Amino acid sequence: MTNSTDAPPALPSYDDPFKPERSPFLWLFEREVLRFLTIWRYSVVGPVLSTVLFVVVFGSALGQHVDTVGGVSYGRFIVPGLFAQAIVNVGFFNGTTSLFEARRDRYIHDVYASPLRWWEINAALVSGGVVRGAVVGGGVLAVALPLTGAGSVARPLVLLFGTLGVLLVAAQVGVIAGSLAKSLDHVYSMESIVLLPLGFLGGVFYSVRQLPPVWDVLSHLDPVFWLVQVERIGFLGQGDVGAGWALLMVWALAAALSAWSAAMFATGRLKP
Amino acid sequence: MCPVPDGKPPALLVQGLSKRYGDGFTAVAGLDLEIPDGAFFGLLGPNGAGKTTLIGSVCNIVRPTTGTLTVFGHDHRSRAARRLLGLAEQEINVDRFLSIRQILIYHAGYHGIGRKAAVRRADELLEVFRLDSKAAARAYELSGGMQRRLVLARALMHRPRLLILDEPTAGVDVELRSEIWRLVKGLNAAGTTVLLTTHYLEEAETLCDEIALLRAGRIVDRGSAALLRDRYAARDISEVYDRVITGEEVA
Repeated sequence: MTNSTDAPPALPSYDDPFKPERSPFLWLFEREVLRFLTIWRYSVVGPVLSTVLFVVVFGSALGQHVDTVGGVSYGRFIVPGLFAQAIVNVGFFNGTTSLFEARRDRYIHDVYASPLRWWEINAALVSGGVVRGAVVGGGVLAVALPLTGAGSVARPLVLLFGTLGVLLVAAQVGVIAGSLAKSLDHVYSMESIVLLPLGFLGGVFYSVRQLPPVWDVLSHLDPVFWLVQVERIGFLGQGDVGAGWALLMVWALAAALSAWSAAMFATGRLKP
Repeated sequence: MCPVPDGKPPALLVQGLSKRYGDGFTAVAGLDLEIPDGAFFGLLGPNGAGKTTLIGSVCNIVRPTTGTLTVFGHDHRSRAARRLLGLAEQEINVDRFLSIRQILIYHAGYHGIGRKAAVRRADELLEVFRLDSKAAARAYELSGGMQRRLVLARALMHRPRLLILDEPTAGVDVELRSEIWRLVKGLNAAGTTVLLTTHYLEEAETLCDEIALLRAGRIVDRGSAALLRDRYAARDISEVYDRVITGEEVA
């Protein structure tokens, strides 16, 4: 080590209040965005490509052999659900990989020991997931809409507020999962045992009106169903439920998950 | 901020600290500790004595079960207190997604430092710690000694008044150890209070103004190296340690 710290600069006064030159929240939020951009092949290109493949295979190829659903071509019908599912998957993995790995590597100690407040840590992690979800969702639409000829948006306001809710739900689910996971096995188990089945049973590829009554009712208990519905209503102007109910359920879910996540950070339950 | 009679609060004041983990293990039991501003304070004790739990509690990494902790008179949970604390942990706990330079810059950011100042300070410390040639590398690409230097550089990014070093020389070679001690002594001479845990007893004896001996979550004795040697009629701190810690454990 060189000698330049032999005469280090003056120390901060101990009785000055903390006045940041730049918000610590912005730094952590920036770090969250930088993190997923650093691994863009995995974090952005992979999810966009896999979702677009679903659109190509199910929508364009197999869709030619399927009747229209509610007067809409099958290719157009599945795009909103795949868009919602892509956001949910990305939000889940963003929160889990970011927070779980920070806990496992104990890098999170550096954040806890800093002047960042609990809600700033929570908000930065969630905002990072929201941005990643928006980037991936935008990528999916940029390719899928021209492919399926679904360029118009039937109900822009429902789409806007619905998508904001879906992004928030997805990011919060990821942060909560990242908080609870004790190993990588937990992370992947949650994805394959919980998230994947909920996604497939959430009406991405079909209308629940096509199902027997008991499955129709059960589908309404699946949170992903409501996320798919709000996107479908926004894009196509029709769904299995009304727009008001879909928006209400999505935002109620977002509020409940936000409260759960906030409680874990506020009470310090993530710390030993 | 806590009122203080002489207007100068201690760097660290711990009163009645206890920590009982979820599995029932009590790591710290009713610990009291005061470290004056400007001190070079050593905390010695065997593994499991409660050193890391004490440090974790001070730095808001561990939730204390009971007790009050103040840093320069501020509640340890306040932002004012956290700004004044710097921690270099025993483990190499750095952000794997960032480069070495970014690790330093973002750490400064978490302490509210602006971008220009953070970049300038990071470049300064990269040079001081001879990490400038590795600025764009990831931490896992560094040697063990370089990783240790990185953790120390990170702790200094926001110019803490109280620097906590948890086994800073564990696993490093003799040359780097002496470099680290020279640097830390320089910081202490310039006013930084240092709280050090180490298993190198002879170094603690040489470096520290005062030493506390920790056993089973409690401080069993404290004083200057000379005072402790006299009290136990010992030749050096190793002998004091043997009598106070090892001897009691065997008994």
